[in-house]
Amino acid sequence: MDNDYLWDPSAPPDPEVERLEQMLGRLRSTTPAPSIADLVRRMPGHDVLRWRTARFLGPALAAAAAVVLMIAASWQSMRTLHLAPGWDVASLEGQPRIGSAIVADIGRLAVGQTLTTDASSRARLDISTLGAVTVETNSRVRLVATRADHFRLALERGTLHAVIVAPPRQFVVDTPSSRATDLGCAYMLHVDEDGTGLLSVTAGWVSFESKGRESFVPAGASARTDPDHGPGTPRYDVTDQRFRDELDFVDEGPRMEGYASALAYVLEHASVHDAMTLWHLIPRVAPSDRGAVVDALAARAPMPTSVSRDAVMRLDKAALDQWWDSLGLQDASWWRLWKSELGK
Amino acid sequence: MEHVLEFGRPVLRFPAAGSRDQGARSLGETLQAVAAGDQDAFTRLYADYSRMVHAILLGRVPGRDVDDLVQDVFLTAYTRLAGLRNPDAFGGWLAAIARNRATDHLRQAREQERLPDEMPGGESIDAETFAVLEIVRKLPETYRETLVMRLVEGMSGQEIADRTGLSPGSVRVNLHRGMKLLREKLGPAKPDTTVHESGNG
Repeated sequence: MDNDYLWDPSAPPDPEVERLEQMLGRLRSTTPAPSIADLVRRMPGHDVLRWRTARFLGPALAAAAAVVLMIAASWQSMRTLHLAPGWDVASLEGQPRIGSAIVADIGRLAVGQTLTTDASSRARLDISTLGAVTVETNSRVRLVATRADHFRLALERGTLHAVIVAPPRQFVVDTPSSRATDLGCAYMLHVDEDGTGLLSVTAGWVSFESKGRESFVPAGASARTDPDHGPGTPRYDVTDQRFRDELDFVDEGPRMEGYASALAYVLEHASVHDAMTLWHLIPRVAPSDRGAVVDALAARAPMPTSVSRDAVMRLDKAALDQWWDSLGLQDASWWRLWKSELGK
Repeated sequence: MEHVLEFGRPVLRFPAAGSRDQGARSLGETLQAVAAGDQDAFTRLYADYSRMVHAILLGRVPGRDVDDLVQDVFLTAYTRLAGLRNPDAFGGWLAAIARNRATDHLRQAREQERLPDEMPGGESIDAETFAVLEIVRKLPETYRETLVMRLVEGMSGQEIADRTGLSPGSVRVNLHRGMKLLREKLGPAKPDTTVHESGNG
């Protein structure tokens, strides 16, 4: 194909790479796949439980096993408590710092501590039940909270990439102008010194919320944020630059010079694909402009027969949710759910 | 069409999206079968991903511990499979588990003041091999993992991309930059003054 042996081992060999392969290949694993049963036997306490239930065990051994179980449970509890207040940090490049201490290889970020990277350093935060967060150069991240089902960072400036495998709404990142709540996803979040920022989602969904505004940003879309207005209207990254620029004007609000023409441009040039963007605009524009946005969305994604225009104009949540559901993106119920659970 | 991965917890639904969805659906089915205790599906999954896990661990922990830790990683993945909602994320998720397991292992080893032992399973491996591996381990993580997958595990660039979830472009860059760094560190002669003579330059 492209004669790149390093990429494609079927290409003509590079002698040096081939020599290294032959040498290091001796370290290759040849262990066959274990059975699931064998794996499960590795679980802490498995043997103890099995022994306890064996008929031949006398009461004394059962009691001993129970003691072992209690000790194991206590140890696990202590270990959990020991590990709970912080996250593992791995240096990826350069010399990231936790507080003033350099992270040479691995370290631990405790609640309240700040991880800082400079122009030549990067780091990764790992927690196995949550996923991984890569902190890029020139960034400052504080660990706000870490509990069994709630993990919170504050990105004060810079860029992070998050790949989250925990259930939705457990991982939250605060920025100076918005709060990003993971809804099962991978995303990039950037914050400038002045508190403005950009969220770009590569998989799943992220909720972006502040000042009573909420944006639900799907994969392939981005949303800006700034301290004055909170999260901006999400837009797909494939939309052209002019469309995104005009949308930024609209997000500045009706008092912004050029708002009317910007809104007109967005409503005229939105594609069927931009229905998600138009839906977000309905409650954001001035009441006098709402009808035009509703009409523009209806022209691209017909209003469900169960929804009345009046209800949408009143910003009736059920009506808006039904229309959203009809867009074929994702049922509104699940992302409404995260809010109600957060509010508990 | 849409893919739904259900393990008795709240799940996300993934709309169909071309060829990537085809691959994800196939992996999703395998993951569902594994979660249900299907040994054949587990063996397939292990065959597809164990080299990636082995490479990540070998880049970080003493060789003699790696095979054991590979099983730990798959045990962790098996018990937490219910929490994985997007099959596309499996490779990255499993890699994260492997990195965390390596980190935990190193921390425990430090607490116990264990000395590293590089003799995996009693197999005879010459000192030069370990010397080169040690140099690879000192490379930046991004390059180190990719290079170990390529040079130790024999994975192609495309396989590395498929398993880790990295883009092919990123893998190619990591391979070439990593190899360049490795060449510089190996130098024109022997990789380390302590290695045995092997006749290789």
